[in-house]
Amino acid sequence: MPNNEKRKLFNFFPKKLSADLEKKDKRNILIFKYTTSLILFVVAGALLVWMQDESPIEAVKGIWKGSFGSLTAFGNTLRWAAPSILTGAAAIVAFKAGVNNLGIEGQVAIGGFVAGILGVFFEFPPVVHILFILICATLSGLLWSVIPAILRLFFKVDEFITTMMMNYVANYLTQYLVQQVLAGGLDNWGYVNMASTPTINGSAYLPDFIPDTTATLAVPVAFLISFAIAFLYRYTVEGYELKQVGENLKFAKAGGVKVVQQYLIIFLLSGAIAGLCGGIEVLGTYHKFNNGFAANMGWEGISIARIAELNPVGLIFVGFIWGVLKAGSMQMERMVGVNRLTVQIVEYMFVLFISIDYEGIYMRHKDRKNKKAYLESHKEASNNA
Amino acid sequence: MLKEILRLAFSVSTFASTFRLACPLLFGSMGGCYNSASGCANLSYEAVMLYSCFFSVLGSYISGSPWVGLLFGMGIGIFISIIFGTMSLVFHSNMIIAAIALNSTAWAVTTLLMVIIFGVRGTVYNERIVSFKPVHFKWMENLGIFNKIFNDNVILVYIAFCLVIIAYIVMYHTPFGLRIRGIGQNEKAAQTAGVDVNKYRWISLILMGAFTGISGTFLTLSGISMFVENMPAGKGFLTMISITIGRFNPLLIFLICLLFGYSQALVLVLGTLSLPTQIIAMIPYVAVIIVLFIDGLKKFKGVADIEV
Repeated sequence: MPNNEKRKLFNFFPKKLSADLEKKDKRNILIFKYTTSLILFVVAGALLVWMQDESPIEAVKGIWKGSFGSLTAFGNTLRWAAPSILTGAAAIVAFKAGVNNLGIEGQVAIGGFVAGILGVFFEFPPVVHILFILICATLSGLLWSVIPAILRLFFKVDEFITTMMMNYVANYLTQYLVQQVLAGGLDNWGYVNMASTPTINGSAYLPDFIPDTTATLAVPVAFLISFAIAFLYRYTVEGYELKQVGENLKFAKAGGVKVVQQYLIIFLLSGAIAGLCGGIEVLGTYHKFNNGFAANMGWEGISIARIAELNPVGLIFVGFIWGVLKAGSMQMERMVGVNRLTVQIVEYMFVLFISIDYEGIYMRHKDRKNKKAYLESHKEASNNA
Repeated sequence: MLKEILRLAFSVSTFASTFRLACPLLFGSMGGCYNSASGCANLSYEAVMLYSCFFSVLGSYISGSPWVGLLFGMGIGIFISIIFGTMSLVFHSNMIIAAIALNSTAWAVTTLLMVIIFGVRGTVYNERIVSFKPVHFKWMENLGIFNKIFNDNVILVYIAFCLVIIAYIVMYHTPFGLRIRGIGQNEKAAQTAGVDVNKYRWISLILMGAFTGISGTFLTLSGISMFVENMPAGKGFLTMISITIGRFNPLLIFLICLLFGYSQALVLVLGTLSLPTQIIAMIPYVAVIIVLFIDGLKKFKGVADIEV
């Protein structure tokens, strides 16, 4: 059997621009990167809309109206931005330090389930109830990530398999608890009684951030968390050490960072943020736990984190744009005959375009140009001689 | 009750459906083990499978022949893997991200195509979609229990089992397999030894696309003749995970695939007893974690060293 233990399967860390680049090159690469991917993004989107016999400009108008057209629409935008930012934050914390946490989805589901249960079966004064539920949801997300972390630390089991397995387990476990335990199994006809937990008590409803819209306090919480992560990584010793673990492990070890301890902290922190996200979603939007509401949230968070290049402040912008597209796509479907799945396709096409290694392409092009110039000057010199 | 469960769990029909349910995983993992062994972190099985599900139905719908459906499925599988390869090997984008983007678009694209071509959402069902016919072997009839388990299956099932042996031989007894493994273990050393790394990665990627395409075709055209939104529903990830757990060894992967197939068969069989199906559906995933845990016990030396 080949000895593959030492090889790390996934390396998620985005390639940093090399330090020895000239300032001009750096600027050119950034411009090249964003203009190319934006142009490709716009062209792909226009093509997709045009293929459905609609006008792309009308579609953009629909998105604008659905996301900024009125206060309600703006509230919708913020509502969709909040979970994107939170899952993105969970992904950033993990991937910045080299932990491949693909189990965000499961952690969100478990957090949401705990929030749904505690919201139904307990009655506290309003603020206390919300805080209690959110803390419990956070803790449950954290506990759900303990198993992969322990397996990784003590038994060298690659975390990306275990976290992905835990997604499925979380999905089925919550389904089981909702359908079989809470609802008491199938009825006489063999049908499922409930697909979700009962609606939570009024005291656990998350208050609105903008009155009379769907934007709840989830929005400021999401912003606060991403700022907190930015602060942690930029200004604290702890954050510096965490970053070192991801960027240069040997250096970190030589520098006396307690690598194992930091690794565990990151894993748990990532799970905790994901759990909090689940709790907030249930308290703020759905007011009950639906089976499978967390589907795809993990992948979305990872993509958003990657577009933001693992930068917590950039995350807010990307998450906001994600919210705009999500809220706008529904309005677009209503106004123009374009299917809202188009927006999803275009979104992920942008992810694809922006993940291209532009630095390599630029440098190769530059090398070729230099070589050509050198050869030509050489030729001229030999001709003159 | 327990007696009933045990009787059903070891009944002939359970084993028969185990082999049928393991097939999509087998095709994908036998084609994909080279790609993973050559060091590509390829997560895009789910996308390839979903696309090939849809296009195999389309091919069968247009022509009325399952073989054209199979060709369509393989073709689209190769096409998607070429897109993945262009992104990851030519443009050097992060493989995991390229795969996530492909996976997330696959569901949307197939649903959109479904609306455009068939004009429905949810399920495509049409009598013009033709499945493979089961093959009946006369000589198996005298074999008793084997007859019940192995006879009267779609031709693809038999191909899948032959493929395991072929894949093993190719992996461990041919220069191709040797080079693929060499690239996976040490890319630079393989390059120094004169192996064209990119060429082998491309070959393995296209193999992965073609065979995962077959497994997508198997899902739709092995009897049910219809396409449902998000049809693989995690089978692609299971394929990738069984490759990773089997450490690229086709025989080990075969065992893991059988484990997944068996537990899926249990879900079908025990569902009739009105047992909680979710708990049974959890079995393979929990089993994987336990297998990995037992495997890891050997390496237990206090806190593991973290390497990048």
